[in-house]
Amino acid sequence: MPEPILEVENLTKNFGGLTAVNEVSFRVHPREIVGLIGPNGAGKTTLFNVVSGYYAPSRGKVLFHGKDISGKPPYVLAGRGIGRTFQVVKPFPGLSVLENIIIASFLRHPKRVRAEEHAWKVLEFTELADRAHQSAASLTLAGRKRLEIGKALALEPTFLLLDEVVAGLNPTEVDHTIELILKLRDQGITILIVEHIMRVIMRISDRLVVLNFGQKIAEGPPEEVAKDPGVVEAYLGVEKA
Amino acid sequence: MKDRRLSGHLLVFAAMLLIPAVVHDTFLLRVFTEAVMWIGLAVTFDVLAGYTGYLNFGHSAFFGIGAYITAILMVRAGWHFAPAAALGGAAAGLGALIAGFPTLRLRGAYFAIATWALARAIQQGVLMMDITGGPDGMRLPALLSPGFFYYIMLGVVGVTFFAYWFLLERAPFGLKLKAVREDEQGAEALGLNPTKLKIQAFVLSAVPTGIIGGVFAYWVTFIDPASTLGDLVSDQALVMVVFGGMGTLTGPVIGAVLIFTFKTVFWAYLSDYEVLYLIILGGVIAASVVFLPDGVLGVLPQRRKGVEDHA
Repeated sequence: MPEPILEVENLTKNFGGLTAVNEVSFRVHPREIVGLIGPNGAGKTTLFNVVSGYYAPSRGKVLFHGKDISGKPPYVLAGRGIGRTFQVVKPFPGLSVLENIIIASFLRHPKRVRAEEHAWKVLEFTELADRAHQSAASLTLAGRKRLEIGKALALEPTFLLLDEVVAGLNPTEVDHTIELILKLRDQGITILIVEHIMRVIMRISDRLVVLNFGQKIAEGPPEEVAKDPGVVEAYLGVEKA
Repeated sequence: MKDRRLSGHLLVFAAMLLIPAVVHDTFLLRVFTEAVMWIGLAVTFDVLAGYTGYLNFGHSAFFGIGAYITAILMVRAGWHFAPAAALGGAAAGLGALIAGFPTLRLRGAYFAIATWALARAIQQGVLMMDITGGPDGMRLPALLSPGFFYYIMLGVVGVTFFAYWFLLERAPFGLKLKAVREDEQGAEALGLNPTKLKIQAFVLSAVPTGIIGGVFAYWVTFIDPASTLGDLVSDQALVMVVFGGMGTLTGPVIGAVLIFTFKTVFWAYLSDYEVLYLIILGGVIAASVVFLPDGVLGVLPQRRKGVEDHA
């Protein structure tokens, strides 16, 4: 196995008396797609927020390419190669789709003209080019989720955190987005994805990490994890005799 | 289209350069000078209000700092006007840098309160100090040359406007600020440091405001805490910006001209009803927020370049 790109070590995040993430450890290797699943409130988004720098961990640490990045702010991590999307999408509504992507492109292309060129490539790739001059607020939900991915991609990340980019889309749009994610992996981007739709997560993930009440309860290939009694219990509850 | 906008701005600027050649009436030239000053104060206010979404109710503090530093250096230290005003601008910028660190982490309304309180504190400080002349104010050496002051004011405001136009509408900086305004967390994920950007905008707003304050002090030859540090400077700039159209640079210019014209006419004919002016100002701002959310500029077609609203 090559060196892991991301190492989460004994990560704990408390909010006052609530432990949202409790002693979680796992690794992500280059070019892997790792699915992070668990019931509502399991701590997936909190874990994402710690890894992407929005929260500092209460205990434990996060290593990226072997370097401790715990507590580094999001804009520093973006520079290091970590891109992320938000479950509740965050377009810049008053700006055009193109401007949204240009802003993200500034990270690698500080000159306006170069950033705009790069933004058009991202728009082509995410199939948003025909909507480039619309305001971001005018996009459909599918469009906004696509824009969210586009903005993360414009950062030219090596590691991408995708938070429920499929939820709320219709089946055609879902297939479309899955295709896009697989294309990204083929380009060499490592992906950690949170998703509720099992059909999707089972299909695209190389490995799954399962959280419940902030703790890791299982890890492994999708088919194995799906049979794990602990996971079944967490999702469906215990069968009463 | 962008180039057409720039040539439009340059044309207006060129026309303004010709005003002293046409207007020989001293009083009228004073009115024009003050109009240009308010354009400057509105545009500097807009950098923060329109591009980052932060309303600075202490804008007068920068104006007053510039005015007082210029006055003190000229009167007490015998400096020439130009270096004194430049240092006034630098002092205002430094003030923004220091005030920005704690306050720009606050959300909108808290920032407005904090900057307002800070400006009041500075005003009280100036009232109590000896070097500023306290409540008696300061008298500066008089230079009776209306044309000179018109050109100095226009030069400062013009350079400020075109520098802003380039930085905010052409260079990446403006888009980055807008990203922070629209969604701070989303901007952070894209590698932008929101606090740093907001502080840069704050300083960018403060420096020319300080210089304009310096020009004002030398021009009117007498300053006191009320005329330079009072609420009216901030309030009036806010009304001009909101009325004209926030975050557009052109809007505040239009707003400044319209509100200032109204003010001048009001003072000329209805000065007995002084108290009415503030009431009307308040009414205008309330009405623009409700009826003209994008300001006067928003009523004109082609308001947002590049964005077609399909919503």
